[in-house]
Amino acid sequence: MSKNIVEMQQISKAFPGVQALDMVDFTCTAGEVHAVVGENGAGKSTLMKILSGAYKPDSGSIIYRGEKISFTSPRDAQRHGIAIIYQEFNLLPDLTVAENIFLGREPQKKMGFIDNAQLYERSEGLLKGLGMSLDLYALVAELGVAKQQMVEIAKALSQNADVIMMDEPSAVVSGKELESLFSIIRSLKENGKTVIYISHRIDEIFHIAERATVLKDGKLVGTVNTSDVDKAEIIRMMVGRNLSETFPPRRRKAERREVLSVENLCSGTLLRNITFKISSGEILGIAGLVGAGRTELARALFGADPVDSGEVYLRGEKLKKGSPKVSIARGVGFITEDRAKDGIVHSLSVRKNLTMAILDRIKRLFFIRERKEKDLSNDLVNQFNIIAPSIEQEVRYLSGGNQQKVILAKWIGIEPSLLIMDEPTRGIDVGAKSEVYMLMRQLADQGTAIIMISSELPEIIGMSDRILVMHDGRITGELAPEKATEEQILMLATGQKEIL
Amino acid sequence: MRRSLLKRYSTTFVVYVILAVLVLSTSLLSDVFLSWRNFDNLLRQVVPLGFVTLGQTFTILTAGIDLSVGSVTSMASCLTTGIIMGREPLVLPVLVFVIFLALFIGFLNGLIINKTGVHPLIVTLGMMSLVQGGILLYTKAPVGSVPPSFDFLAWGNVWKAPFPILLYAAVAAVAIIFLRLTIFGRYVYATGGNEEVARLSGIKTGKIKIFVYMISSFTAALTGIFLASRMGMGDPLVGERYMLDSIIPVLIGGTRLTGGKGGIGGTIAGVFIFSILSNALNLLGVSAYWQWIVEGLVVIVSVSLYFRQKS
Repeated sequence: MSKNIVEMQQISKAFPGVQALDMVDFTCTAGEVHAVVGENGAGKSTLMKILSGAYKPDSGSIIYRGEKISFTSPRDAQRHGIAIIYQEFNLLPDLTVAENIFLGREPQKKMGFIDNAQLYERSEGLLKGLGMSLDLYALVAELGVAKQQMVEIAKALSQNADVIMMDEPSAVVSGKELESLFSIIRSLKENGKTVIYISHRIDEIFHIAERATVLKDGKLVGTVNTSDVDKAEIIRMMVGRNLSETFPPRRRKAERREVLSVENLCSGTLLRNITFKISSGEILGIAGLVGAGRTELARALFGADPVDSGEVYLRGEKLKKGSPKVSIARGVGFITEDRAKDGIVHSLSVRKNLTMAILDRIKRLFFIRERKEKDLSNDLVNQFNIIAPSIEQEVRYLSGGNQQKVILAKWIGIEPSLLIMDEPTRGIDVGAKSEVYMLMRQLADQGTAIIMISSELPEIIGMSDRILVMHDGRITGELAPEKATEEQILMLATGQKEIL
Repeated sequence: MRRSLLKRYSTTFVVYVILAVLVLSTSLLSDVFLSWRNFDNLLRQVVPLGFVTLGQTFTILTAGIDLSVGSVTSMASCLTTGIIMGREPLVLPVLVFVIFLALFIGFLNGLIINKTGVHPLIVTLGMMSLVQGGILLYTKAPVGSVPPSFDFLAWGNVWKAPFPILLYAAVAAVAIIFLRLTIFGRYVYATGGNEEVARLSGIKTGKIKIFVYMISSFTAALTGIFLASRMGMGDPLVGERYMLDSIIPVLIGGTRLTGGKGGIGGTIAGVFIFSILSNALNLLGVSAYWQWIVEGLVVIVSVSLYFRQKS
């Protein structure tokens, strides 16, 4: 018997329209920290969901502790000692830390009463073993994200998990919190647990993982010892080509007019004294960590959230009270970050989604000019190569990639002079990514100003004509992309430095 | 193209099939059912439920609900007869006044829902109680009277057809055109489908919501005015049953409680199914208690059919 605790062999899994995994091998030895890396859409999450019992593979086998096994459900996998911690936590906010740790498995007294004394005692033991300091009686709702993550880890351990998968744990924490996450992972390892760490941040992997498995487009690229390779090697494996090739070239425009100017904008509890300008044909990248206020800034500029003080000038004209309606009428578009949730109306057809923001332009009195609406929709469907049986199809039946195209088409359909894009390539595969980049550059070349919010530093550096970095609701610096490095941006984004 | 059309209207199609089966089986079971007298009676019976469900369809399409329709119906019936008191010249001004009052109540419903963010269920439940209390302060027993000419609304005929069913058809047609062909109609669906997306697309979702509650109150008032004509007097409790009865045909008709999907076509069929069912059970001499049980089963079975279709 080998000392491999997990062996996944020749795993394949297809979803409608996409081969998510194609004959992937993955092995983990007991007690190691194993990173799984790859770009969005590479198949990391699918692989982990198969191991955790959430998906069934189309083919291939899983050997766990030397035995061939097939999990029927996440609960089944849990019973065998495999736990997964998702980016979105499965915690009940109105219960205490300890109650959450033992949710559904509460220690019981006679007659089914909960044995609270044991509940808290055992929770305390768990946390001590990990070196975590948490108030067991605190409500989860009162905890920060990092502490909620700790509760999730403790919950996994309370189920006697031997293999713990973490899906992009660093996406929600940073700085000091990340350090304490790492130290928890190290103590898990000392206790003989196996940790599978999914991430697309390469730096972290060298900090904590002994081995890394790289996936790309659903295929295994390889498994390496982190001590044998460097960062550049991993990136080459992930991307499969040099970075510079993925971004379309910038062209210097002769004439640029100022489109938007923001002075000392404050909004909500977060945004303070935001000042910047953007001109036609320019792509302005906004970098920063989660919670830096980038999305809040976008929403305030678009009029989705109120501006408390400061001035916004659109093409030199001062905006009084903004609203999405006013913004759209003036040619401002906003593509939101969570597009599955607040990008489209799933119960409406492709046509009705495409024209939702421009009904004012295709009406006669109060009536929609249906002929015109259909022509317009068909044009957009052709132009953006949206795959749908007809424009009358409800968007819920479209694939994720085509839903994204509907959203892009909808907003480009308003013929924007300023387009705000929040994480424009989140959740789309590598091929579609470069299509989006081409489209953005094409729009900019036609004179549209684009504000691009992104957490992907290569994208920020590769696409932007200018880069703004935000930290804690303020702009901490402006960089030119030719001179910017990932390290420099991170320094500004974590508030360790300012260039103003 | 034909397949997509069928898919688009499939839910409505199913409702009309259910309706056809119901009509067919009832006419086989009872010879009275297809008689002209019963038909005339049935068409007049459909109308009050018909009006109030039109408005309810609008609120449910925005993922809301209006529980105050019952007391608005009672209010409209009492005020109409109570103020007119048989005086013919007062008919028109009183009707205008009653409708304005109803619109104002709907406006308040929408405004409170927008400003507080409290669920429409709670807001309109409170409004129901408020309005009902007001009516009972005004009168505790059936009240007022109407001039003979006012009878035409409930009992009149145009050629051979009952006048009220024609009026219902006209109001329903306006509602269908409104939802299908105008931008406001589209906004109603968008708001119900996903309010945040609608708002970010430049739709004033707050205004749309105020608007649907005004429509809902308006059709509830129509029901009340119709009942005043039918009974010749106002009754402070006449609308009570519509609080829940107005919702059931909308759901039978395939409009989703979660909003954004459905329409008037289904609701009309729902109203007929609901009314014919109780008419048929009456004709067959089934007790009222059994009618409750059958109606309950129809709601659960039909709505669960749509859900299965969806998945």
